[in-house]
Amino acid sequence: MLEVEGLSAGYLGEDVVRDISFNIADGEAVTIIGSNGAGKTTVFRAVCGLLPKSSGDVTFDGESISDLSAHRIARAGLAYVPAERHLFPQMTVAENLALGAFPDRPDPETMSVVFELFSQLAERRTQRSGSMSGGEQQMLAVGRALMSKPKLIVLDEPTTGLAPKLAVDAYEALAVLQAQGLTLLIAEQQVPLALSLADRGYVLENGSVQLEGSAEELESNPEVRRAYLGVA
Amino acid sequence: MTDRTPETEAAEMITAPARPRMSFARAFGPIVLTAAAVALVPLRYGDSGATMRVAVAGVLFATYAVAFNVIFGSTGQLFLCVGALAGVGGYMSGILSDRAGWPLLLSIALAGLLSSALGAGFSWLVVHRSLDVIFTGIVTLAFSLGFSNVVLGQRNWTGGENGLLIKTGSNSLLGDQIPPFYIMLGLLVLYLVIYRLLQLSHIGWAFRALRDDEVAAELAGVNVARYRIYAGTIGAAMLGVAGAVWAHSAGFIGISTYSFAGVDVRVIVMLAFGGIGTLLGPVLGAVTFTVLDEFLISFAQLRVVLYGVVIIVLFLGFQRGVIPAFQGLVERVRDARKRRSPA
Amino acid sequence: MRAVVFDGIVLGLQFGLLGVGLTLVYGLGGILNLAHGPMAVLGAIVVANSMDAGAPVLLAVALGLVSIGVFGLLLDSTLMRAVYRLTGERRVLLSLLLTLGVAFVIDGLLVWRYPINSLGIHIGGDPVSILGVRMRTGSLVASAISLAAGAVLVVFFRFSTAGRAVRSVIQDEVGARLCGINPTAVRTLIFGLSGVLAALVAVTRSMTSPITTTAGIDLTILALIVTVVGGLGSVAGAFLAGIILGIVNTVSSFYIGTYITTIMLLLAAALTIILRPSGILGRRG
Repeated sequence: MLEVEGLSAGYLGEDVVRDISFNIADGEAVTIIGSNGAGKTTVFRAVCGLLPKSSGDVTFDGESISDLSAHRIARAGLAYVPAERHLFPQMTVAENLALGAFPDRPDPETMSVVFELFSQLAERRTQRSGSMSGGEQQMLAVGRALMSKPKLIVLDEPTTGLAPKLAVDAYEALAVLQAQGLTLLIAEQQVPLALSLADRGYVLENGSVQLEGSAEELESNPEVRRAYLGVA
Repeated sequence: MTDRTPETEAAEMITAPARPRMSFARAFGPIVLTAAAVALVPLRYGDSGATMRVAVAGVLFATYAVAFNVIFGSTGQLFLCVGALAGVGGYMSGILSDRAGWPLLLSIALAGLLSSALGAGFSWLVVHRSLDVIFTGIVTLAFSLGFSNVVLGQRNWTGGENGLLIKTGSNSLLGDQIPPFYIMLGLLVLYLVIYRLLQLSHIGWAFRALRDDEVAAELAGVNVARYRIYAGTIGAAMLGVAGAVWAHSAGFIGISTYSFAGVDVRVIVMLAFGGIGTLLGPVLGAVTFTVLDEFLISFAQLRVVLYGVVIIVLFLGFQRGVIPAFQGLVERVRDARKRRSPA
Repeated sequence: MRAVVFDGIVLGLQFGLLGVGLTLVYGLGGILNLAHGPMAVLGAIVVANSMDAGAPVLLAVALGLVSIGVFGLLLDSTLMRAVYRLTGERRVLLSLLLTLGVAFVIDGLLVWRYPINSLGIHIGGDPVSILGVRMRTGSLVASAISLAAGAVLVVFFRFSTAGRAVRSVIQDEVGARLCGINPTAVRTLIFGLSGVLAALVAVTRSMTSPITTTAGIDLTILALIVTVVGGLGSVAGAFLAGIILGIVNTVSSFYIGTYITTIMLLLAAALTIILRPSGILGRRG
């Protein structure tokens, strides 16, 4: 579904991530773990067209998206849920969701699926998104991404600002989505949660991929355990 | 008296503001050279009254542009009342010296004071209502147009649309253009020196800090509000005095002398072209556009069209102004040289 | 007095329409289009020339609207590219300078080629009495058109997918891109729309009093005042502000004099900036 090769990107002329390569198969859930500043967001931004690449190729669903702009990539079926969410604060939940389906009109079926998955959103259909709590906004951001019926959803630290119970709920929802055929790419600092859902993972530190493997392999890897799972 | 330990010295180095250390030559050399070059103009064109009139206008606009540079270039306050502030100075000084019989220098001084008070007032508004560029522009534009209307309306004092003849000072309406030229040039040099001195002082450092990042400047202890008001006051004073000096040198002022269309539009274009925030940008811009204006006169009807085309082309090409573009070029050449021969 | 107020409303609706184009472009791209007034006048001249060439009124008006709309599209996709590469204050400044140049070019060309042209559309019919005030049919038609245009705009922005897309770009451009919306295309389209609206104002103005070639700058200043008072980026605000300012205009013209009127309007703008910078319906920041 997604192939990234030799990706380098950065800010103000300096590369923050160098020679990143990874891939995701159809229906897989892949996670990228790493500490703050490792470069996860930079990688996502570059893949999704929000940040220019200094080098590298990205292939999505067989087609190259390396030179496409963000809105084209979104229309191609790659939905990105950034850490900052970027919702439309003066618009209601319903309007935000409707825009997710752009350029098509919102599909009522998809919308009801979203409301089923996130019952709190259903209660606040007509509430302005700017006045909602962090957790609700996170749900709305994911819901908006779902409205475009994407093939791949990229989530950047979806549990930021969520209370532990809500974070678990969120991952349960993601598991449901994966069961329905959605491919997932998740950047996460909450490593146990991420590894519980993911099939495979990559460890990103200091701008390059340090480790890769299946979720089980990573979980039992002593370095990973020491660095991210708090085990001595 | 505490001992100067290495720690104290290090601390002082860190906290001392980075003032550009310029040699006297580097600081004032450009001004002297420019002044010398401009001073030669009458030697070549002194005979032609028409050319000299243009030259005087050019120098006058350069002074306006330097003053505007102090206000806008230093602190980003878009005062669209350059002409009006100069006009306040001009009419005030003219009325005081002709009608009230005040001595020339005192009239000019008071006129400058009045303008600077207005400038301070505008800056105070900008600061206290947190006005951004557009809003500052509109408020000051309102003043400009209001000023024009007052001048038109109060014809007993201002002569209305007929203009005002000013008798005090070198009345050279129809006469010799050379004295006004050198008077205005002297004023221009003075203003350039003031600008340079500001740049090199702690005020200039504060200006640069707040231009770069206002929040960071506040956090570093720069009272942004106060420095904005300084800029507005000093710049407005310069405008008032320039307007007054012009009124006395030219001997005649009218509606178009200080109008928005006649002054502000031109000054903004000149400064933006030359380079906002640079020392000689205003001069370069004034010279360029004064010459251009004259050149375009021969096109009669199409003059405005060509002026517009020139503005578009120039600003597409030199978005930051000519001098910054030039500086950028020099830097790139220097960088390329450095890379080619690592020391 | 009532007649004066009604006249003010008629004028105000057109003020509103004039301001809407400018406020949309500013809300979307942070660009101040100083050529807005000249564009309106250009529209008027196109319509006038078409009518002189024998075209029926409706066709001539359509021609005018389309031509200035296209002009707006072209202007945004060419000159404004340079402006969009900048951000914040530098973007505003460059947009001011470039559109100033465009304003000079349009104004200069019009004055040069059509120095005495003016557009005046005469709507026949007897004056109609509304609430005891006799209104000319021209004023009524002009007001109806302005109201209709306003209504269409409001409906468009609130309820249509495209309109929602435009609002999304104003509220969060990155978010809009993630939804598959192309902000550049949106900005160009809205610039074109502002051109259509400018031409429409010229047409409706001409129904009450002729528009001359030199009206460009005044129209821009008027649009600016309306935009500021109504709130940068607010369509409804522009109309509301327009009506208020229209009434201020006619009242002050009638009781004090046309001279002071311009100052009054500018004072209104200045006061709004000082007292309520976000405008009547605008949002701060």
